[in-house]
Amino acid sequence: MNKLKNTENILILGLFLGVIGSIAALALAYIADLTKQPITDMKTQAVNSALRQVLPEFDNDPGQNRVVVKSADKQGYDVIFYGALRNKQLVGIAGQSVSLKGYSGKIQAIVGLKPDGTIRTVGTINNTNKPISAVLITEHKETPGLGAVVCDRVRKKTIFNMFKTADDANLPPPNPILDQFADLKPGKIPWKTVKEGGTLKYVTGATISSNAIAEVTYRIANTFASERSKIIAALTPAANNVIKEVKP
Amino acid sequence: MNLLQDFTRGLWKENPILVLLLGMCPTLAVTTNATNGLGMGVATVGVLVGSNLVISLIRNIVPKKIRIPVYIVVIASFVTAVDLLMKAYAPPALNDALGIFIPLIVVNCIVLGRAEAFASKHNPLRSLLDGLGMGLGFTLSLTVLGGVREFLGSGSLFQIKVITAWTEECMLPVSAPGAFIILGCFLAGMNYLNIRRAVKRGEVYIPPQGLGCHHCRLCDIGKITEDS
Repeated sequence: MNKLKNTENILILGLFLGVIGSIAALALAYIADLTKQPITDMKTQAVNSALRQVLPEFDNDPGQNRVVVKSADKQGYDVIFYGALRNKQLVGIAGQSVSLKGYSGKIQAIVGLKPDGTIRTVGTINNTNKPISAVLITEHKETPGLGAVVCDRVRKKTIFNMFKTADDANLPPPNPILDQFADLKPGKIPWKTVKEGGTLKYVTGATISSNAIAEVTYRIANTFASERSKIIAALTPAANNVIKEVKP
Repeated sequence: MNLLQDFTRGLWKENPILVLLLGMCPTLAVTTNATNGLGMGVATVGVLVGSNLVISLIRNIVPKKIRIPVYIVVIASFVTAVDLLMKAYAPPALNDALGIFIPLIVVNCIVLGRAEAFASKHNPLRSLLDGLGMGLGFTLSLTVLGGVREFLGSGSLFQIKVITAWTEECMLPVSAPGAFIILGCFLAGMNYLNIRRAVKRGEVYIPPQGLGCHHCRLCDIGKITEDS
């Protein structure tokens, strides 16, 4: 043992590092394989619960009634649209896409849209007229306390009502950055924060995350606006609920 | 007795934040509120205990010259495995609360520091206790630091508003400069307590001997050390 510990032989050193690396790789491969299915299930669950929050009341399974479209901008990312039906009528659409410009990479958003392409409002903040928009960030790795502040919807509690269920418990909690998209309709110019020469607010310390959220939200809304007729045709019941690829 | 010391050393005498000043980047970035501090701490305890244990088990067969790359492979695999397992099996609420901290642990030098300074020289049981103590000390100071910053920033604790009349947020304690200022106050308070305790016993306070570098030794990487 002592011989191995003090060895200077470069071949043995390389071999040892290789063995350790292979053991680690094998163990990780095994764990990755083991957790692949549960992670996909968790993600589907998360998408379904996000859809329930951003879509109006529906009686179908929007997770199955979906269509994948290439985004209308240069990047050509996949945008997934889910259709909510009530009595076989299309009542709302939710778009899901990603921005890779987050501070730690991918930010995934789900946005609820009205059939005419404006971003839905799901309710108003208690006792005010400020709207809560149907914009949810479903996946991000932003720094907790900085970038995560603009991505997460967290319900604020005070010491007086910490055990009471809130009056608006069925609504997503407000978040000023995400809520500023309520009732916006995509135009020719992409939405940008003030920092980038646009009009949207941002949070100091989370500029990059704020920009990424504006980017992904505009991508979803704009893609829907430019491919509107095809998407609606694919999501209405006559399309027989199969996943279709629509080429722009 | 020795075992108990291994455990308690990380809590006060060699507290990783307040005495060793290790792992500053995740600390200052994350502790904007008490909940985040606690989350980061708990996630670190898990990885620190696991990596200390594994590194202590293989300490006798790892050639000295390549020990650092080997430790990094072990730590990184541990972090990745914990990340995957949490995503797959932890309840969504727990994963949302802790999951974001897991990738940050890789850049936390406490883990590598303890591997090099302690686990590579002591038996698995002592290394496990050392990891647990260091992790709990880390968690404790992170939570308190986060609590103070959150309270000064918005009058709330663990994201529950304590002073409801406090409506405007104060930016300074929540921002990075405020983190340094408050951490500085913490360090001053820690020294004050230690000095006062020494004076009460009628002694002159001397900082623990050898606190210079032996706890971390990251700057010795690449050198073959004589004493180990």
